[in-house]
Amino acid sequence: MEPKIKITGLDFYYNGRPVLENICMEVVENTITAVTGPSGQGKSTLLMTLNRLWESIEGARVKGDIQIRFGQKFQNIYDPGFRVSELRKKVGMVFQMPNPLPMSIYKNIVFPLKLTGDHKQKDAAFRVETALKRSFLWEEVKDRLNEDARSLSGGQQQRLCIARALILNPEVLLLDEPTSSLDDTSGRMIEALLLEVKKTCTLLLVSHYLDQVKRIADKGMHLSRGQITQEW
Amino acid sequence: MDVKAFLSKSMFLGACLLSTGITLGILGFMLVLAYPLFARGLFWEMLIQPWSPGQGLFGVGPMITGTLCIASLAVVISIPISLGVACFVGIVHPGGKGRILKSVVEAMTSVPTVIYGFVGVFLLVPLVRTLFSGGSGMCILSAGMMLGLLISPTMILFFVQSFTLVPQNHLDAADALGANTVQKFFYIVLPWAWKSMVTGLILSFGRAMGDTLIALMISGNAAAFPESVLDPARTLTAHIALIIAADFDSIEFKTLFVCGISLYAMTGFGVVLARGLGQRGRA
Repeated sequence: MEPKIKITGLDFYYNGRPVLENICMEVVENTITAVTGPSGQGKSTLLMTLNRLWESIEGARVKGDIQIRFGQKFQNIYDPGFRVSELRKKVGMVFQMPNPLPMSIYKNIVFPLKLTGDHKQKDAAFRVETALKRSFLWEEVKDRLNEDARSLSGGQQQRLCIARALILNPEVLLLDEPTSSLDDTSGRMIEALLLEVKKTCTLLLVSHYLDQVKRIADKGMHLSRGQITQEW
Repeated sequence: MDVKAFLSKSMFLGACLLSTGITLGILGFMLVLAYPLFARGLFWEMLIQPWSPGQGLFGVGPMITGTLCIASLAVVISIPISLGVACFVGIVHPGGKGRILKSVVEAMTSVPTVIYGFVGVFLLVPLVRTLFSGGSGMCILSAGMMLGLLISPTMILFFVQSFTLVPQNHLDAADALGANTVQKFFYIVLPWAWKSMVTGLILSFGRAMGDTLIALMISGNAAAFPESVLDPARTLTAHIALIIAADFDSIEFKTLFVCGISLYAMTGFGVVLARGLGQRGRA
């Protein structure tokens, strides 16, 4: 079991106020690592440091070292030579609220390929189908790919967002409370999906639900006041 | 309904009725004063005829052409400037540098038009004269450039406002998928904001058509159909300002109402178009 992510001495400041302090952790490849803790303790911020999504936030600053292994080599994701767009293609993210773009189901899934210029490749449709199958959505939408993605139910929208993140075959997937806005049935479906996804991807999951963490996580850690206070 | 609510509602209704009444009243006033022209069948002729008082021709066709040429050129010049600044302020650097630049743009909206006119007369007109080596430099190009600069702040602020309508979760989704700024603009912002942006364009066009001073100071004021952007031209508003001192009963003076009604119709058409687009945007 090799580590995929190594975080050492990570501090995060917002307007000079510390949000994360001296975070040190390792995430093992092809596992689900859950981060729990009360609201406002820095869980989502921790995820955002891993794909540098915080960089658009004015007044935010990060210190410390985050290494992610791509292939055989660990890479410092804050290395000036490492392009953020490349990082985000390898480290996908799914948000708490499903955020389908205002376009068709097909266009939503193919959107990441459009960003890389691969959407006109012959295998684009096949990749869309594969991503939708991996997210257990294909059977439900295969006859309505041209419909607006916002017409899907909340659970379907969240699976669509996971499929959209998966189409680029990310090596790491960050999940920020992906089931908290969904009903129990949809939440369970997402959990089953994540267990499948972890076979090919390393997952870091922020969750409020301890029972969910116990069901699907291989490892867990509790974050309180910006520090890891407990690991199991 | 309690008294306060009733009074508030009545006050708002009163304000709406008053402003609508004033707007329609102005149109009615112009139609009444232009009635003799309608009665004698001169109104429609005046819209297309040239202006040649010596030959008894008092058409405002050249002024309508001049207005449309200068306002269109101003919008064409303003679009790239406004889009660039709006993207910087609204998308690339929404805080920090962008905020400072936005404050400068907001300050520009309060600069009196006559200042733009002076800059035009003393800087732009000699530059155009030198670069294109012909005429006085007072021409459609000079007026269009200066008006383009004048309407840019309005257009920039409208564009920035349009960008803020884009839901944050769409931008987050694009960011998380690795979209760069240009991709985010073309794939997320533009499809969402274009209708609102077009509304801004139309209203800015109206602003350019309605401006008097810049056209009066640097367009050359020749009451003839222009053939190129280096030709002088007279706008409807400048014509009104130049003719206002004529004898009330003269036919020259009556052309003011033709100008007024033409301007009213053109700006009204623009507003209706903008509202129509806005409605479709919300549908």
